[in-house]
Amino acid sequence: MMRSDDHSATIDVPHVESKAVIKGKASLLPAAAAVAARPVGGWKKGVAIFDFVFRVSAMVAAVAAAAAMGTSDQTLPFFTQFFQFEASYDDLPTFQYVSSVFKKQRRCISESSDNFKIEMRDDMLLSSIVVKIRTHNVNNSIICRFFVIAMAIVASYLLLSLPLSIVTIVRRFAAGPRILLLFLDTVALTLTTAAGASGAAIVYLAHNGNQSTNWLAICQQFGDFCQKVSGAVVGSFIAAVLILFLVALSAMALRRV
Amino acid sequence: MKGSAAVELAEATRAPSAGINRGISILDLILRIVALVCTLGSAIAMGTTNETLPFFTQFIRFRAEYNDLPTFTFFVAANAVVSGYLLLSLPISIFHIMRSGAQNSRILLIILDTSMLALLTAGASASAAIVYLAHNGNAKANWLSICQQFNSFCERISGSLIGSFGAVTVFILLILLSGMALSRR
Repeated sequence: MMRSDDHSATIDVPHVESKAVIKGKASLLPAAAAVAARPVGGWKKGVAIFDFVFRVSAMVAAVAAAAAMGTSDQTLPFFTQFFQFEASYDDLPTFQYVSSVFKKQRRCISESSDNFKIEMRDDMLLSSIVVKIRTHNVNNSIICRFFVIAMAIVASYLLLSLPLSIVTIVRRFAAGPRILLLFLDTVALTLTTAAGASGAAIVYLAHNGNQSTNWLAICQQFGDFCQKVSGAVVGSFIAAVLILFLVALSAMALRRV
Repeated sequence: MKGSAAVELAEATRAPSAGINRGISILDLILRIVALVCTLGSAIAMGTTNETLPFFTQFIRFRAEYNDLPTFTFFVAANAVVSGYLLLSLPISIFHIMRSGAQNSRILLIILDTSMLALLTAGASASAAIVYLAHNGNAKANWLSICQQFNSFCERISGSLIGSFGAVTVFILLILLSGMALSRR
């Protein structure tokens, strides 16, 4: 009976075995591929999650920098100083000449710069010169405006690229969204670094001035403005470093496994 | 049978993909040489500025060179560093042409390219801000424009910015190409 069983086993097994072997091999290949892919591609998911976290922090830094620069205007308060001259009564022609000289000076000075103007009030006997010095905000220059606009563009790009980043977390092996993110992140890095570096050049000049071109340091008068602008530049550099990490992460995640 | 047919198909699709990879690597090398020329030209153009006006008084300088503004010194240094890096990365790029399937060196090249892009953009945009100030001044901060007196100095520094910004564009293309070559197979 054993022999018959063995015979039946040996007769039957080849048939069963051949079909089973073929089916088994055919079913083993995709299964093996799936088993091989899952643990190997797991690190890509971690990289994509890091990418998302860095993206959110870079966006926060960019928004903070834009806000700090945008709200940095500072106007020094009015102050007036009175210079009073007494004119003698019998010096009327002299008085008239002196008052005419002061009138010319007033016109001359108030036209050459909008920083201070001189008003003249003629009483009967006195002429007084009122000097009002008023300083405007200096963050209306094109470089500060470029900084705010560039950081706003980068912050909104980072916000809009959050869904794309989530797509790369979910679909680990799709290369298209990753390459698009790599390219757009590179452009964002360029814009951020450009804004930060031009802001840093202006802040350096405002702190130190330059002797050979006769540009004076203005930070002693504009204390608050300088602090805010320096903080904005630091924020933009932090955003630039974070976006650099984003590009490196995208490059590492593009690896074929 | 299925397995062998699948392997043959994979090998057939690998050949044109490798050809495209090689084309991307050759383009990478050409763009690298272009960027090298651009940054080297910018560094030399900015570094050899020297203008002396023919008159002088006791208290006001009438001589302008790139050393006077520390931003321009940084610009020359950044361009020199980036051109040195490009020179050293040419052999790696040639290696990528021969071995199109190299991955780790491509990732390293992308990371280094991005760092150099950041450095170059920083130098170029900082000196662009100073060149703008030199042309226009800033009335509110009482900074006078110096370009009316120093004509050729201003022209030189403005022209050297062009090469630097061109190299920035080339770097962006380089990073994109490396990313594409990295993901193909």
